[in-house]
Amino acid sequence: MTMPAFRLERPRSLADAVSILATHGPDAMILAGGTDVVPNLQMKLFSPRVLVDIKPLAKNAQLASIDWSPANGLRIGALATLTSICESPLIREKFPVLAAAVATIAGPLQRNMGTVGGNLCLETRCQWYNQSDFWRKSLGGCLKKDGPICHVAPGGKFCWAAWSGDSAPALLTLDAEIEITGPQGARRLPLAQFYKNDGMDRIALGRDELLTAVHVPARMAGRRGNYHKLRVRNSIDYPLAGVAVSMHVDSRGICRDARLALTAVNPAPLLVKEACEWLAGQPASPELIDRVAQQAIRTAKPLTTSGSTPVYRRDMVRVFTRRALEESWRSADGK
Amino acid sequence: MSKQLIKLRVNGEQYELAVPPNKLLLDVLREDLGLTGTKRGCDDSSCGACSVLVDGVPMLACVALAASYQDCELTTVEGLGTLDALHPVQSSWGDAGGAQCGFCTSGFLISTKALLDRNPHPSLDEIREALSANLCRCTGYMQIYESVKLAIERAAAAKAAGAGS
Ligand SMILES: Cc1cc2nc3c(=O)[nH]c(=O)nc-3n(C[C@H](O)[C@H](O)[C@H](O)COP(=O)(O)OP(=O)(O)OC[C@H]3O[C@@H](n4cnc5c(N)ncnc54)[C@H](O)[C@@H]3O)c2cc1C
Repeated sequence: MTMPAFRLERPRSLADAVSILATHGPDAMILAGGTDVVPNLQMKLFSPRVLVDIKPLAKNAQLASIDWSPANGLRIGALATLTSICESPLIREKFPVLAAAVATIAGPLQRNMGTVGGNLCLETRCQWYNQSDFWRKSLGGCLKKDGPICHVAPGGKFCWAAWSGDSAPALLTLDAEIEITGPQGARRLPLAQFYKNDGMDRIALGRDELLTAVHVPARMAGRRGNYHKLRVRNSIDYPLAGVAVSMHVDSRGICRDARLALTAVNPAPLLVKEACEWLAGQPASPELIDRVAQQAIRTAKPLTTSGSTPVYRRDMVRVFTRRALEESWRSADGK
Repeated sequence: MSKQLIKLRVNGEQYELAVPPNKLLLDVLREDLGLTGTKRGCDDSSCGACSVLVDGVPMLACVALAASYQDCELTTVEGLGTLDALHPVQSSWGDAGGAQCGFCTSGFLISTKALLDRNPHPSLDEIREALSANLCRCTGYMQIYESVKLAIERAAAAKAAGAGS
């Protein structure tokens, strides 16, 4: 495959990056680690006139560092690599669900390049979309790119391309907020409000904005947590389904507070809201776990966006939810 | 597309090249610098045959724009050892049969070098994890792990010999 033509900008300051984005609007595209952007460019999924490489901003330590304080909680700069996150002793100790989820992203080579900002802004994926230009043209395109119909749900006008990132569900279970920087400065947004659950219009980010950091409140530190992911091979592959859980369990084994989130089974990573309500104040019981697992598969709407079948992916959401909850109750607290 | 002048530091040598901004590091290495040890395998960044070291960290040259890696120290398989003095990972690969068709080999050597630089005595699990983004379709991986173990022994022996003299 070949790369389309574009101009490459390498801003040295955040202000420059914002002003380049503001000048070029929809003609500009952000490039971080490039592990999602570059393959997509080669498939001619986008044709930006200007590619804005934000990696030089990593020299500005605030944008690539991982900082923790009991007062301000955890802050991860958007350009922090996935490797730096899943290998961080601090994150492994205090936010095990995040370390576990990030450790499953692609393989070690991609994690050395990929950034958390890129992972949270990942393009949605579908087997009818993530194909070469030639392949897509032979089919007449799809709703998301160059075509009139969605091959997943041909009757509708909705794009079902699946959210296929692994860090977002983990961060949702930690009540994370993101910091977005634009011409007006920085603003904070709960991560849950960032995702639009629309395969074509995935995130609430202005054309002149970039994600600059992720924040996790200090009260989420030390919770138990784990991540279960379905994929064909245990390395390299994107998720076909994923379940993240964070849980605070007291000394008597009562769940004080919990969050459960799904990935790769909807156009957005989604919290299963009922889980939070139903689990609080409860001891572990097979009935409760089953009830939450049932609710998880009601939230999951996998369609034929990948090589695996929707039935299997939905079933694995149930299995993973059960395992994730049982494991959370069984495991020891973080520090 | 108009070319632009970029500076790359590869295997200790400084290069100044005129390349279009959309040119991948993999293509610059192979076509402009003639360093064809780095391979294009899958063409969608999922096989590891194009691995190179960027400031000592293994990365995929097929998703890297050459112009984005100007401020880095790049190492390709050609930079690991010389014909007269192979790097331990190179000689062990030959002696333990880590390569069959050889296409994935340079990527594996790069990932292994990075692993051993960071962790000279990795467990089998650590080896498997470090090599899990490199695909081989010939050897079934067992000989590759044997090659890594041999490289570990050789590096340790060389170090002990160095310390003793
Ligand atoms: C073979 C392979 C397997 C993969 N498997 C997985 C997997 O299992 N799980 C998974 O989650 N991902 C997977 N990925 C995708 C990708 O590697 C990761 O999601 C990675 O974190 C993307 O980060 P990046 O820095 O490379 O993003 P880029 O490719 O640089 O960017 C990704 C998107 O985010 C935008 N963007 C990047 N940074 C910012 C920012 N700071 N602000 C605003 N927008 C931004 C870009 O414009 C682009 O739309 C895989 C990729 C490959 C090639």
